[in-house]
Order: sequence, then structure tokens, then C-alpha cells
Amino acid sequence: MLTIQGNPSGRFCDGLSRRDFLKIGGLVMGGLSLPQILRAEALSGVRKSPKAIIMIYMAGAPPHQDIFDLKMDAPLEYRGPYRPISTNVPGIQISEHMPHCARIMDKLTPIRSMYGSLTGDHDSFICYTGRTAKGATKPPGDWPSIGSTISKLLPPGAKEIPSFIGLAPNAHHPPYGSPGLPGFLGPAYSAFRPNGAGMADLTLNGITSDRLADRRSLLASFDRLRRDLDNTGVMEGLDAFNQEAFGVLTSSRLMEALDLSKEDPKVRERYGKGFTANYGDGAPRNNEHFLIARRLVEAGARCVTMNFGRWDFHERNHSELLTHLPLFDQGFSALVEDLHRLGLDKDVAVVAWGEFGRTPLINKAAGRDHWPRVGCGVVAGGGFKTGQVIGATDRLGGEPTERPVHFGEVFATLYHWLGIDLNAVTLPDLSGRPQYLVDGWSPMKELI
Amino acid sequence: MKHVFLAVGLSLFALASGHAETPASLKVEATGAPELALRGKDARQQLLVTAKLSGGELRDFTHKVEYKAAPAGIVSVDENGLVSAVADGAAVVTATSDGVTGSLPVKVEGAGQNRPINFANQIVPIFTKSGCNSGGCHGKASGQNGFKLSLLGFEPGEDYEHLVKEARGRRVFPAAPENSLLLLKGIAAVPHGGGKRLDPKSDDYRLLVRWIGQGLPYGDETDPKVAKIEVLPKQRTMPLKGDQQLVVLAHYTDGSTEDVTRSALYEPNDKSMASAEEDGRVTLFDQPGDVAVMVRYQGRVAVFRATVPLGATVTDLPTPRNYIDEQVFAKLKEMGMPPSDGCDDATFLRRVSIDIAGHLPTLEETRRFLADSAPDKRDKLIDALLDSPEYADYFANKWSALLRNKRVKPTDAPGNFAFHYWIRDSIRANKPFDQFAREILSANGDIQDDPPVAWYRQVKEPQQELEDTAQLFLGMRLQCAQCHHHPFEKWSQNDYYSFSAFFSQVGRRGTDTIYHRRGVATAINKKTKLPVKPAALGSGPMDIAPSDDPRVVLADWMSRKENPFFARTLVNRYWKHFFNRGIVEPEDDMRETNPPSNPDLLDALARHFADSGYDVKTLIRDITRSRTYQLSAIPNHYNQADRQNFSRYYSKRLAAEVLFDSVNEVMRTPSSFGGMPAGTLAISLPDNSFNAGSYFLTVFGRPESSSACECERTQEASLAQALHLLNAKDIQEKLASDSGAAAKIAADPRSDEDKLRELYLTAFSREPDADEIALAKRHIEKPRKGPDGQPLDPVKARRQGYEDILWAILNTKEFLFNH
Repeated sequence: MLTIQGNPSGRFCDGLSRRDFLKIGGLVMGGLSLPQILRAEALSGVRKSPKAIIMIYMAGAPPHQDIFDLKMDAPLEYRGPYRPISTNVPGIQISEHMPHCARIMDKLTPIRSMYGSLTGDHDSFICYTGRTAKGATKPPGDWPSIGSTISKLLPPGAKEIPSFIGLAPNAHHPPYGSPGLPGFLGPAYSAFRPNGAGMADLTLNGITSDRLADRRSLLASFDRLRRDLDNTGVMEGLDAFNQEAFGVLTSSRLMEALDLSKEDPKVRERYGKGFTANYGDGAPRNNEHFLIARRLVEAGARCVTMNFGRWDFHERNHSELLTHLPLFDQGFSALVEDLHRLGLDKDVAVVAWGEFGRTPLINKAAGRDHWPRVGCGVVAGGGFKTGQVIGATDRLGGEPTERPVHFGEVFATLYHWLGIDLNAVTLPDLSGRPQYLVDGWSPMKELI
Repeated sequence: MKHVFLAVGLSLFALASGHAETPASLKVEATGAPELALRGKDARQQLLVTAKLSGGELRDFTHKVEYKAAPAGIVSVDENGLVSAVADGAAVVTATSDGVTGSLPVKVEGAGQNRPINFANQIVPIFTKSGCNSGGCHGKASGQNGFKLSLLGFEPGEDYEHLVKEARGRRVFPAAPENSLLLLKGIAAVPHGGGKRLDPKSDDYRLLVRWIGQGLPYGDETDPKVAKIEVLPKQRTMPLKGDQQLVVLAHYTDGSTEDVTRSALYEPNDKSMASAEEDGRVTLFDQPGDVAVMVRYQGRVAVFRATVPLGATVTDLPTPRNYIDEQVFAKLKEMGMPPSDGCDDATFLRRVSIDIAGHLPTLEETRRFLADSAPDKRDKLIDALLDSPEYADYFANKWSALLRNKRVKPTDAPGNFAFHYWIRDSIRANKPFDQFAREILSANGDIQDDPPVAWYRQVKEPQQELEDTAQLFLGMRLQCAQCHHHPFEKWSQNDYYSFSAFFSQVGRRGTDTIYHRRGVATAINKKTKLPVKPAALGSGPMDIAPSDDPRVVLADWMSRKENPFFARTLVNRYWKHFFNRGIVEPEDDMRETNPPSNPDLLDALARHFADSGYDVKTLIRDITRSRTYQLSAIPNHYNQADRQNFSRYYSKRLAAEVLFDSVNEVMRTPSSFGGMPAGTLAISLPDNSFNAGSYFLTVFGRPESSSACECERTQEASLAQALHLLNAKDIQEKLASDSGAAAKIAADPRSDEDKLRELYLTAFSREPDADEIALAKRHIEKPRKGPDGQPLDPVKARRQGYEDILWAILNTKEFLFNH
């Protein structure tokens, strides 16, 4: 059931009326179509917040102890050859191969004690939903990702820009190519994928834009079926989406956001290019995705997800990592700096993480294997408290010793920051059961 | 003509406003008894003032009157009609409006004494009303921040333990009750994650203070408990935008009653029609129809039904053809909602072909039907469609998805095919539905010998088996009752586990074999940890011999004529298939608190269905032959907003498979799916795995069979759908192909007009009118430039014109929708 929040500011406040709270679950199946959501929002007087989220899935699980959490007190066979460097926050040190991030550590919050993965199977699922892919009982239809949830609950940031955009292209190992799935919310809330299955539909196929315009006016005169036949809003929804689609096919805000030739070449250089090809069966190390993500949230997208590389180094970890770290460092830090430069840092939250960490003891092939017990992530933007590290691991980097952070907590923080009341808002799954957005996690006080 | 409209318009206006109504008489009531008895210091009662207008209609005047109590000092009445006890004695409360009065005698006893507080009856409801024990906070399985309450107060004993005894009693402070952590957090005097839940000036707060100060009494085992709740009025016919105050009475086991209006929870079953306040005031919006407000208190439910007539005069109703029409038209008359006209032949042909057989009528069929002058041609068409193989395909597709017939591993394929064939054959042979259900439930043996075993492949545990059975065949969503008392219905956990006991003797060998394991059918109630016997919903526990398959016993119970669920569920499901809205909506959520919009219609359908021996084709025939089904979708002056009275046909978007096949039909391209014979229609696919290969099917919402819910098939619009239809590569290629329909039509030597006629007949089952032909011809004949800027030769230009026209046809709502 859709609950329209009467007060989205998210503070613990007297303003939250009992009535807002008491909308526990719901019985009416069927989501609202786009025009209905807009009307409903207008009725409840909710101020539109331009907040957006960029989420970066470091596919394959990055080695936490070689990036943000160097374990210099551990023996060499645990800590590996990388050395730490100081950052612009006294007391925080990260890997020597992340100099750009070190320079802007005051704008970042590494989390060194991420946990939650049960089995150590590769899956973007936990990174995009806060819940495990296997193990726990799932609702019929499966859990929706954060992008789908946001596109269902919040009004779009701008017309002609889909709320949820996934930049990841398809990968040979399907979870690595997933932008976050809609689960029980249904295909209407899938990510819009400029690089995926719908990509072919995005650019004009076989006709010129003149001919499309011609067809468009032909359609307008043909499409005479009375709209008042329909009392469900579906026709109106299709009309609205048709308009949007025409906008996408001709030049529009979406196409412009995706078009990097419109960006200042100096800025493009700062982000770097990376590679468009997938790395193995994983995602591409495409630095331009960072820039596209920024342009998309500027244009009004609410949630942009991207998958980066393939960090699953079971062999030659420390040499292979050098194919990823510098590029990631460049692109990610460019994104964060750019958001600050453009004044978007309070309205855009950035999260980068992988599904788990890697083994403390380097294996015989000089690599690290899966280590679901702990991993790392980094949060930036959103007006969050940055320039700090959350959590810590033990001497060997194997167990969280301080402030373990479950994936769900970060999701709780993000939803709360977006103004969604976690205790009240539910979405019905395919059996009609109202499901809360996170499994009982509260927003992290360290961040907000 | 104009003045008729004016007159009708004016009378509608008068009906719709409600302000100018003066009561002819006022009736003041509270509990239904002739005198109101208030006992104890806290005793209060919400009054209900009903005015009878000069025309006999009843209107709620609870908030439109002035209250007085005489003699003074016995009771006090506020402007909302809430009576509070002040001192012992007798008094009379009068309500006045516009010179008309009504009154109610009141007697107060024991006003000096506080009644001993019973935790379960008086304190727990405060937690429910304030939202403390909701599923988002302290009511969830893991509690919140270390404090756990039972969900919605279902387990007062546990709540007492947690609140009073846990953590060394730090939550309550009897010596200084206002300083109890419970209250400080509740009023947000100290930081509270849930915010402010209680108002320190409220009666609830005062009661909590008193309870803590009294030493936290739990109450006696012998104290009366809530036996049921009653809502007054139960039913009311209300004007548009009207409002109604509800009074909720809790009846205790000792016969006493108490007003719990301000402690109950209210929820309308259609939020676009009505809203309900915390104090029991229901406000209607401007949609006519039926709406039910579910009232909940302490695990009991009651329902208030409002019928909101449109109020127009209904003079010409079509002659009813069968019992369906009789019921529908009776309701329309009651609602004052004139139905639309009947639909024309072209509309009917397309509509019924899609609804019964999932495909557009062919050009031949269309021409023949439109030219036929036989008076019973529509009936004959229905019969022909029901005999066609496509009918079996289409409904097999529907049931296959609901019965979770899917391939998870490649080795599932033979079983998947077998089950699909079995379903299809059953439908083709018009197997009685009770037999169909029985054969699925009691599947036995190897999957190749008894294909319904495939159902058990996907529902592996007794829990899932019972939930799917209940949802599919009994129209109930029992899932909630697994872990706690169902929040909206009367089913308890005991009911849930007793029902699961029917599936306790299902044995498996490998993945593809099911057998009945000898043994006494029993299950463990996970809450009480006690064993329970199988009990069908609403019936008592049964003893089933170890050699009898309890599933067969269950199937027997389901198909008995007196079974209140089975027939109703099936007819409601099929009704929804044809009308896009069930008589109970959603179709698998039938409960007292979600009543049918036309109970007599549902009963009549169920009775006829059961009497016919559960004959599905007869049901479909009855539905499609009715005048109701054959009404036009075009609204008249009055029924645009109708969504539940069936005063016109409700249009719906074509299902993904049907749309896929229809697009191919118009473009004259064959479909092909990997692993299936060439030319297989999308409606004939045996399972959902083909979604992976077809972006079209996925994007238009073909279900993945992850649930037994028809709702998995979404009709929602999306950007991806729009983009796909407007611009999909394969559609473009088919349009531009030399062997495609556009090229063929363009090359056809006949006149443009003839060709356009054929195109319209194929896509829309109707002839184009003169304007449409002119428009299309203009487009075909206009000069075009090629990509090089030079004028295109006329043959190419005309072909492009036809491509554009085909493209436009595929994108019109008339094509995409069944109307």
C-alpha cells in the first residue's frame, strides 16, 4: 500500500500525526500509475525533494584490507604488500593506491565493518536490497531493490527522466550485470537501462527523427479512442509514458544527460575514461559511468546504479588490483568532488560497496578468497557526517570488532534521509502482505 | 432534450449537496437500548444522532446538532456527542437541530468509583491505537530497541511480562507514574525513535498513569474478555460526500458493553471512495458505489457498509436476459445509476474473442459475423469460441501460471509440458471444476502418470500447499495467520495449522513422485507447540483414518454444495476475468471485512455454478450472454466514475501474450519460441521460462509464476512498454521488411480504400469511417523525401505510408485495449 507521508522531513517530530502512522499495510492491490502518484503527492502537499542516490556495486567483492582497511599490525602474509598513506583527515589511513580519495577523505566515510552476506555467493542482490539473496524466507516475487522502491514511493525528480536508471550492461555472470531488480513491485518499476535489454529501444531504429515526428502526429489523429472509457488510470498512464518515450527518442533531457560530449573536457579528463568492455564475466571499469551518473541525478533521476569492474581476485590479488584501484580511485573521487563543486553534495548520497570482503590470509595463488564475515564500503554526500571511519576489524582484518554495520542499516539511513518513514511505509508483496522496506534496521546515527 | 438534461442535472445537484437537508425527526441512540447506562468514573459513550428526512432517507446528524444535558451535573456532553459520566443520577440528553429534537435518557451509577483496570481490556488497546505494537515497531518479531510487544496486542499476557517484568521493571515506576520510562518515551519527553505517540492531556495517558499508580494490575482470570465488537450503524445509504459517525461497542463475556469508538482502528476497503478518522468518523468522496470500513479492536473485527447511490432516476433498464442481469440491474436501480447502452456487433465480436479465446477475430470471422443477420448470432459466436482450441490454450495459460507450472531446472521440462497438457485437456473437455481441483490436490504417483504432481514440485511444504489452496480455491489469503492471528479476519493460528494438517501426509520420492504416506494426519501449532487435527476452515477437527488420504477429504469438503468458499471463489475469479474487477476485489481476498459489492449477484452466480455441477463453460456462457457483459464501455452522463457496479464494460489492456499474438496477427508475422513448434502462439506457451527470451512478454507483465496471485500479472504502464511499442527493433524490422505486411499491402493492386478497410477489420474488427479513410489516404499519398533529401519514388513513398499506418495502428489505445 502506498502511504503518502504528511511530513517528509524525517526528524523525530511532533508533527507526525497518528493517522499517518496508522496506515498499517493495505488491502488494495495494484500500484498507482504515474499520474496518480503525482496527483496524490500534490494533494498531500508534500514538498518535492530533489534528493537522489548513486550506488556503485563493486562487483565480485573487493578486498577490504587492501583498500580502506589496511592491517599493518598483521604479518606480511595477511597484510600484503600495500602500504598505507595518510589522508587529509588525521588518523585515517588508506591504501597507497587511492591517493585521490586520500586527498578528499574529509568528504568520505569509509565503513570498515560491513556484514550481512550469508553464504559468500556472488550477488549484487544484497548491495541493492539490503537483504540476502538466499537463506531467509522471501516474499513471493522477491525483494525489490532500492531503485525500484524509490521509483514506486517518491515522485520523479523531473519529467522525462525515469526515476531509476541502471547503467550496468549485461554481464556474463548475470548478477554482475544487474542494476537492481524490481522484485514483487513488478516490471513497471524495473531500472531503465541505457545499456541493457531496453537499449535497443532507446535510439531510433531504422527511421529518422523527422519520420518519427510524422508518425507521432499520425498517431495523435488515429488514437481517437475515448479516454473516459478507462476508469483505472492505465490509459492515462500509457499516454503519459508515451509522451515521455517520445521525449526520450527525440532529443531530451535524458539523452542529453547520457551524452558526454556536452560536458566540459576538463571535467571529463578528471573522471578519466576507463574501459567500456566488461572485465571478464563482470562489469566494465567504466569511469564515464561516474560522470553519467552525476549528470543523470542533475537532470532529475532519483536513483542511479552502476556496477564497476570485477574485484574477485582469487589469484594475484595485489597485482590484479592495480587494474582496478587507480581507475576506481580516480572516478569515485572525481564524482564526490564534482558533487561538492556543483553544490549537490547535500542532495545526492553516494554509496560504493561490494557484497562481502576477502580472506585475511593470502592464498597460495597470491589471491584472496571470499570472506562473508566482514567487508567494506564507503559513503559520501547526502549531507552525512563525513571525514570519519565507522567500524573497525580485528588485527587480521577478519572479524568486525567495533560497530558492525549490516547492509540494511545503510538502506535504513538512505530511506530515512529521503524522508520515508520506515516504521509506517509498507509495500504489499504478491500475497498481499505488507512488507516494510528494511528488516527492522534503524538509520545510523553516525551518519545522520 | 436540453431541458431534460437540465432537470436531471438540477435534481442531481440537490441530491448531491446534503447541506440544505432539514430533518423531519431526530433519533438519538448509543447502544441500541432505550436507556443509556454509564457505570464507573471513566464511563463515556459516543452518541449517534440520525435524522430522518422528509423523503424517508436517513442522514447522520451527530455533528450537526446542539447537545444539552438536563439536569446538569449528572453527565456532560461535548459538541461531538461524547457523553461522559459526572455524578450518579438520571438525566436526559437532547439533541437539537433546526427546531427538531431527539433525546435519550441516561443513567449514571458508580461515578465515584474507578473500576479496577484490566490490562488486556483497557491498556493493550492503547498500544494498538497509538501504533506502539504495529509491525513496523515494537510489534515486529524482533521488537524495537529491545522492547517487544505482541503484534496488535494479540498476546496480552506476553505484553504484560515484557512491560512490567522485563529488564528489572525499568519501564514503569509505580511510585511516580509520570516518570515511568513508558510514558516519558510515549510523550517524547525523552528521545523516542517512534516520536510522540501519546498526548499528556489525553484520556489514554491519564488511564496509563492511573494503571501504573494502581500497582500495574493485570486483572483477574475471571474478568470478562471481549467476546465480539459491534459497529452502529451496520449499514447506511449515504449521499456523495456525506459523512457518518460510527459507534463501536465491545461486548464482553459477562454481557456488559463498552464504548470503544475512540480506541478502535478504522480502515476503508477502497481508499479512493472514503476516509475514516480515528474517532470513527467516515467521510465519503465523490464516487458512487459500495464501500466497507473495517473496524478492529482487540483482535475482533466488524464492518460498516456504506452504499452511495448516484441518485439518478433509472427508467429504462434493458430486459434482463438471465439471473446475472436481474441482480446487476436491481443494484443499478438501487444505486440510481443508469447503465450505458448495449455495444455494437463489431465491439462485441472483438471483446468476446479476446476474453474467451485470447485472440483477435480473423478477417474472415469478422466479415462473416458482421454480415450475419441471424438474431442469435452472438450466442452462436460464444459457443463457437468455447469450442475452439484457443479457449483451452488461453485458460490453460491462466491456470498454468496460477498453479506455478514452471521450469526451474531443464529437467523439469517434461513434467512442465505434461502438466500443461493436462490442464489444457481438462479445460477442453470441460471437466467439472470440483473434479479439476480434486485431481490437483490429490495428485499421486509419478509426474508422467499423474501430471498434477507438478504442482507439488513448486509448493513443497504443507504451509505453501495450504496457502496456495486457500488462495486459489477458497479465495483467502491465509499467509498472515501463520505467525499470528490474522489481523483482518477471524482465522487464528490454530485454524492455519489445522488446515495444514491435511497436507501432512504428503510423501515425496525424488522430485517427481508424490504419494500418500500412511499415518494419522496431524500438524503442530507452532505457537502452542501442541498437535492439532485437520480442520477445514470453519468446521471442526476431523479424525481421518491413516489409510485415507487427507487431501481427498479436503477435496470432498471443498466440493460440497454447502461449502461457502469454493463456488464463490471460482465464479468471482471468472467474473474478474471478464469484467476486470471481481465482485469481491481483490479476487483472492474474500473476508467479512472486504465484502462483495453485490452480494446477491455473487450468491446467485455461486448457486448456479454449484447446481450445474461446477460446469465452467456454462458459467462463461451465462456471463457472456448477459446484457451486462454486452454493455458498451462508453460512459453515459452518469456512470463515468463507476468502478464496481458494472453499469458499463470496464476496458482493460490486452494481456502480454494476447498483445504479442495480436501484433503478429496484424503484421502477418509468425511467432517462434525456442523449443516450441514454429507458429506457436504466446497464449499456448506451457510456462514462464519463455519470458527470458522475450523482452516483449516481460515488459508487458507476463507473470513469472512466483505466486498464486493473479496480481502478479501487472497491467501497469511503464516507460519501457511505451518505448518498446514505439520503437522496438524487431517491430521496426517487421514493419520495414520486404516480406512484411506493409510491403504486401502496399503491393496489393486493390484500391487504398479496400485495403484500409481490411486493415481496420483485422486490427479493430470494424470498418473505418469516412474521416479515418481520408486521413489515412492523405498520409499514404503525400510526397516524401528519401534520406538523401531527394523526393522518393511514389511506390516507395506509398509503402512508407503504409508502414507508418501499421505502426500507428499498433500504438492506438483502441488496439492495445479490450473495450
